[in-house]
Amino acid sequence: MIRIIPREEFCIGCRLCEIHCIVQHSKSKDIIKAFKRERRPVKRVEVEEEGHVSFALQCRHCDEAPCITACLSGAMQRDPDTGAVVNDRERCVGCWTCILVCPYGAVRRDEAEKRVVGKCDLCPDLEIPACVANCPNEALIMVED
Amino acid sequence: MDAYDYAIVGNSAAAINACDALRSRDPGGSIALFCEEKHRCYSRPLISYLVAGEINTQGMYYRPSNYYRSINVEFHKGTRVDSIDPAKKILTTAGGGKIKWRKLLLATGFTPFFPPVEGLEEIDYLTFISWDDAKRMLSLTSRPVNALVVGAGLIGMKAAEALHARGAVVTVVEKMERVLPQALDERASGLVADRCGGMDIQIIAGESVSRLQSRGGNKGRAVLENGSEIDFDLLVMAVGVRPRTELAEAAGLPCAGGIQVDQYQRTAVADIYAAGDAVRAMDVVIGEPAVNALWPVAALQGKYAGRNMAGEEIPYPGCNSMNSVEFFGLPVLSAGIVNPPDDGYEVITRLGEGGDYRKAVLRGDVIVGMLMTGKIERAGILTSLIQERANVRRIKNFLLEEGFGHINFPRSVRRDRIVDAVAGLRGAEVTRGQGG
Repeated sequence: MIRIIPREEFCIGCRLCEIHCIVQHSKSKDIIKAFKRERRPVKRVEVEEEGHVSFALQCRHCDEAPCITACLSGAMQRDPDTGAVVNDRERCVGCWTCILVCPYGAVRRDEAEKRVVGKCDLCPDLEIPACVANCPNEALIMVED
Repeated sequence: MDAYDYAIVGNSAAAINACDALRSRDPGGSIALFCEEKHRCYSRPLISYLVAGEINTQGMYYRPSNYYRSINVEFHKGTRVDSIDPAKKILTTAGGGKIKWRKLLLATGFTPFFPPVEGLEEIDYLTFISWDDAKRMLSLTSRPVNALVVGAGLIGMKAAEALHARGAVVTVVEKMERVLPQALDERASGLVADRCGGMDIQIIAGESVSRLQSRGGNKGRAVLENGSEIDFDLLVMAVGVRPRTELAEAAGLPCAGGIQVDQYQRTAVADIYAAGDAVRAMDVVIGEPAVNALWPVAALQGKYAGRNMAGEEIPYPGCNSMNSVEFFGLPVLSAGIVNPPDDGYEVITRLGEGGDYRKAVLRGDVIVGMLMTGKIERAGILTSLIQERANVRRIKNFLLEEGFGHINFPRSVRRDRIVDAVAGLRGAEVTRGQGG
């Protein structure tokens, strides 16, 4: 399956990953519309920064994913085809138990349309996830294991 | 007599996660699951969402409608198990059916518990733990009613919130001095109570019901210790729950406030396992077995029970008392020890705007508890540090910052957690972006 690895020695903290993540998960997938005219989706990758050190982090798609086991409704599941940990927004009730148990802080409240959580889905419609494809300095790389 | 490789008593978080684990490791073993309720597996904590109209009945189900068939589990719904014979490895159902099993899982859950109150038996009161309870609450609140909830724990408070959503006038009586006395600390209790007050839910804390008088059917009057009286059309008893151990006890399994299990979820009797709310299992924070009757804990125990029943030897990693709940739009997340029992703990707090509040509890340099309300993003990082019994001496000052994260960890720890923890990454095929 696809995994995304941050490389902090190359990250410049530009947050383009966050911006392109938001665009990719927006309705129009248009950068201006996504930020100015539509309900802005929650970012599924986050740049952590302290001084000159920064890196981008998103869901690790853990092999033993605590969010799947803890999910109250059964919405959080592993996609049998891709191996990605995905949240079924129809079944998610917004109880935040996944936020309570994610060791990476990679699940966020996404209340733009209804009360659910948002997290990295590895951009199933793209060959390369938006954050990786748009990183200007290869600080996010994609590996397949 | 029907015979199965695996028999499971129960049909909730522990039972279903055990089924999944069993099936993934033993594709051919026969599994029979017995459940006294008539519903296929649903999520118990969602009954308050159902009553409040936030989800529909389809949203209640934990697994798709073809679940049992899809993993080849024989689902015996509406079939209570009356007794088990550990020596002969036979269970007997309420209908007198006898079933032989090779390995058995007890996932019998919890049951409401309250001390006797004078007059309670004359009233058709409600509990709030099952789908059937939710259905009764829905039908009894089809017109506005005066509702009294006894007990301001998690179940009582979610019942109060659901009743409010149904247009009821709600009063909550709690014998401790504040709402959610176990799950929350004083400040967080206050934040929740404020929200309730804003919704015209009356909270009477530090008071007990001394007796009840029936006014026919569901209706009655509560007389409090202080002599005041409350008339109600609907009474919800939510004082507490206890592990359901009668089946295990009758079979001679040691149960001291919960079915005893070892680290492999095995009971004291060979080939009988137990998991979930009925069980006392390792709590990593308090360092000894405890009952944590919580959905995520039950699910995790079920998963490990299933693996071990299928022949693996993989110890349950232990859990802690962790909870996520929302009251009137205020998310409240907690893990581990929230109310330190003595002075041997260090408490760090951070109070933000509105409902934002954060607290960490440390024992020495080890984080043993946390509480977050309002802005709850990335709470799980703290939960994982609690679960790992991590030494946080070097990052103590950052724990409650909004930006707290892996950036605050030493670089080697960060690398371990983010990259090396993900199996199979070394030597994998690398793809880079084309750059901006």
